Amino acid sequence: MSEVTDIEKKQQLAASDQSFWANVKKQFKKNRVAVFALKFIVLLVAIAIFADFFANDKPLIAKYKGNTYFPLLRSYAVDLGLAEWQYDLQNVEWKNLEYDWVVFPLIPYVPKNIDSDNAQSVSPFGEQSIKSTRWRHWLGTDELGHDVLSGMIHGTRIALFVGLVSMSIASLIGILLGSIAGYFGDDRLRISRGRLILNVVFFMAALFYGFGSRSYILSDAIAISFGKFFWEFLISMIIIIATMFTANFLARITKLVPFLAVKIKIPIDIVISRLIEIMVSIPTLFLIISVVAIAKPSIFIVMIIIGLTGWTGIARFIRAELLKVRNLEFIEAANALGYSEKRIVFKHAIPNALSPVLIAIAFGIASAILTEATLSFLGIGVPAESLTWGSLLSASRQNTGAWWLAVFPGLAIFVTVTVYNLVGEGLTDALDPRQKK
Amino acid sequence: MFKYIFKRLLIFIPTLFAISLLTFVISLNAPGDPVDTMLNKNAGGEGQASQKLATEKAYNDIRHQLGFDLPVFYFSFTNASCTDTLHRVPKKNHRDVLQRLAFQYGNWSDVANYYMQTKSFENTIYALPKTETNATALIKVRDYVSSLYDTYDNARIKTIFSNLDFVFNENPEIRTNIGFYIATKEAYNNMWVNSSPYTRYVPTVHWYGFENQYHRWISHFLVGDFGISYQDKRPVSSVIWDAVRWTLLLSLMSMILAYILAIPLGVLSAVKKGKRSERVITTFLFMLYSLPNFWIATMLIVFFCGGDYYDVFPAFGLGNLPDDAPFFDRFWETSFHLVLPLFCLTYASLAFISRQMRGAMLNVIGQDYIRTARAKGLDEKDVVWKHALRNSLLPIITLFASIFPLAISGSFAIEQIFSIPGMGKISLEALISRNYPIVFTVMMFTAILTLVGNLVADILYAAIDPRISFSSKK
Repeated sequence: MSEVTDIEKKQQLAASDQSFWANVKKQFKKNRVAVFALKFIVLLVAIAIFADFFANDKPLIAKYKGNTYFPLLRSYAVDLGLAEWQYDLQNVEWKNLEYDWVVFPLIPYVPKNIDSDNAQSVSPFGEQSIKSTRWRHWLGTDELGHDVLSGMIHGTRIALFVGLVSMSIASLIGILLGSIAGYFGDDRLRISRGRLILNVVFFMAALFYGFGSRSYILSDAIAISFGKFFWEFLISMIIIIATMFTANFLARITKLVPFLAVKIKIPIDIVISRLIEIMVSIPTLFLIISVVAIAKPSIFIVMIIIGLTGWTGIARFIRAELLKVRNLEFIEAANALGYSEKRIVFKHAIPNALSPVLIAIAFGIASAILTEATLSFLGIGVPAESLTWGSLLSASRQNTGAWWLAVFPGLAIFVTVTVYNLVGEGLTDALDPRQKK
Repeated sequence: MFKYIFKRLLIFIPTLFAISLLTFVISLNAPGDPVDTMLNKNAGGEGQASQKLATEKAYNDIRHQLGFDLPVFYFSFTNASCTDTLHRVPKKNHRDVLQRLAFQYGNWSDVANYYMQTKSFENTIYALPKTETNATALIKVRDYVSSLYDTYDNARIKTIFSNLDFVFNENPEIRTNIGFYIATKEAYNNMWVNSSPYTRYVPTVHWYGFENQYHRWISHFLVGDFGISYQDKRPVSSVIWDAVRWTLLLSLMSMILAYILAIPLGVLSAVKKGKRSERVITTFLFMLYSLPNFWIATMLIVFFCGGDYYDVFPAFGLGNLPDDAPFFDRFWETSFHLVLPLFCLTYASLAFISRQMRGAMLNVIGQDYIRTARAKGLDEKDVVWKHALRNSLLPIITLFASIFPLAISGSFAIEQIFSIPGMGKISLEALISRNYPIVFTVMMFTAILTLVGNLVADILYAAIDPRISFSSKK
């Protein structure tokens, strides 16, 4: 019963795409908590982007020895190799300079600053040996004298970045595989024997020349830097894509042979569903830890692996939606009008099936952030020098007297995870046609 | 029905095969040499020839015992520069370097010759008796020779050679053995001159048959022999049995608690939808759901376990009363230690289950038969707790099947924080120390349990809900 009405609703919605999203927006706006959560996410993103301007040991603007400097902006140029430090400012201790006048960022510390006067975990409410309130550690310090608040502000970056990158990877894989499985099902993908054979053979060759022959080039690159690895990986991907392109180009010629031109059905849905089942039955955190434990600790590897394991939810959603959508009239109409399959899939079917994926993405970001926090809390996969909320929190385990090390970073994780979950919840409600009155 | 179950069980096979392969590939790429871990090797570069031979023999024995002298898989699909006999080289780091050299120069026979020459050069150097006059030079030569095994970089090897040249020229006593050194150098140059790097672009397939590491492991696994833990050399099954008891105890208790609390909470929040009390409960459950349990665990330890605040609960372990202490003393001691971990595990599943319960209940309450029951004039209590609850329990019961695998594999963070020797903790330790027999076993069992759990959930659905039937499917 309910499914029929569901489809009817969807048909109405599909008929006018514009009004569908407008309606979702309207429904979402009714949910005040979700709207607040969304605004909070915008705030978090702002903090992540401008973290350097909120918490930094370099002044925003300073007059020193009669000259006006913009050290913070300058530091960007220096990092990019566009400029060098002015003579007076080379290797200076920013905090101790005798400025004519100066404007420091709100929090005058970067996470790696060690304030040796306030080492041994100074409480936020305790006595701090500082010049003035301007230099106060508002959320205390850790064992070595790192400022906790500054660490939390810069930690926002890593947390949000993990969510963004890993979910981008997951959505890419999930949408691609899910839509292939859902649109073609088990009976709609028909390709000629020649094309199939060529694709299989060339795919093996593509893997061989893309990765097999380049294995040492790739492994050397990853030892140097992530950027270098990314570059080499891109070359490998180009080799693979070029090979597959050649295979499909040659496939046209094989059509001349009658035996090879015979079209056969490929049960692609079964294959992809099996793949999803395999991914689901692997204990994900276990897999992530086992891969991360053998690679060089790097936040990028953590992101990639979370992304590579986190696509099943999205794929399932979009597969189920497309299985429904492909029987709807408008797809038939597009077919009847003679549009190509690709065009139907990309222009019509996927945009219609995309809405529930948003929910999966919102919840997925929350769980990716949580996974990264768990990993860095356990001290796995994240390099020791990079400061994240999880690693800040784990510092409190060695130092149980310092409550501020336990409370604040954990609160940051909690709040971030909560707001993403709230947005996911709000989207679920807004996209549920039963909610409409 | 049976046909359906049989079909599902058949599908398990490729799934488990894929997972076992995945784990196997990860273990192959892990750095470090398990045989060394097994030997508890304390690296000794200096030593007499007899001692060196003895260690080498012990190494090879353990390697043979663990089956690492076998080829890796049934077949290999690599480039032509790789040889099919590389697995016979004992040390893992040697293998890595040799493979790399073969890749660079593309002529395995020359690479193998270089390796053999280096080996005999090393053996002669170690066989030389140490005297007062040659001691320093001898140690230097030994160091240089062993560093030859660690590098494939042409520039570095040349540096090592020039260092060796220098030592041999300095010390006439050692110079008498220069023949082996010259042969090594020659072998290296041969390799360099005859290099044919194009072989790396020629794909080759080698067939090894059933005598391989993967086959050995999986066939042992299937008959219940999970191998020996590298670290403490105990059988994996006994390590896992010791750990799984604690994890099962904890998770079963937390699950029972969670179910007892979650069902009424979920029902209440569904029945009172829209009211203030419902909003409070829902918000509260939502907060619980998003609370990272490792954070709560850390906070509990900071505030309630000694430290500078309250000292109510013990922070770590399970208590250390001797085994012969009275049963009740031990029981209380252990229970006391389990309170905090139990709390952390329970609240998370409580939030999850009650949110599911709420959803299921809302679904049921909106249905026609409930309206009929109300219209019939039934007591609201009866409607909710008798008619609605029964049907909304279905998804909750089947939820158990999907939670159960997690209950066996334990929680990494909670067990680590409270030092409970359960599955989470031992698998985390096994992963970090690359103790792969344990990793394999835990991974496979979790996967099997997940698959079985899903199957049981589906069967339960059909068993409880007559509307679902497998036989009519397609």
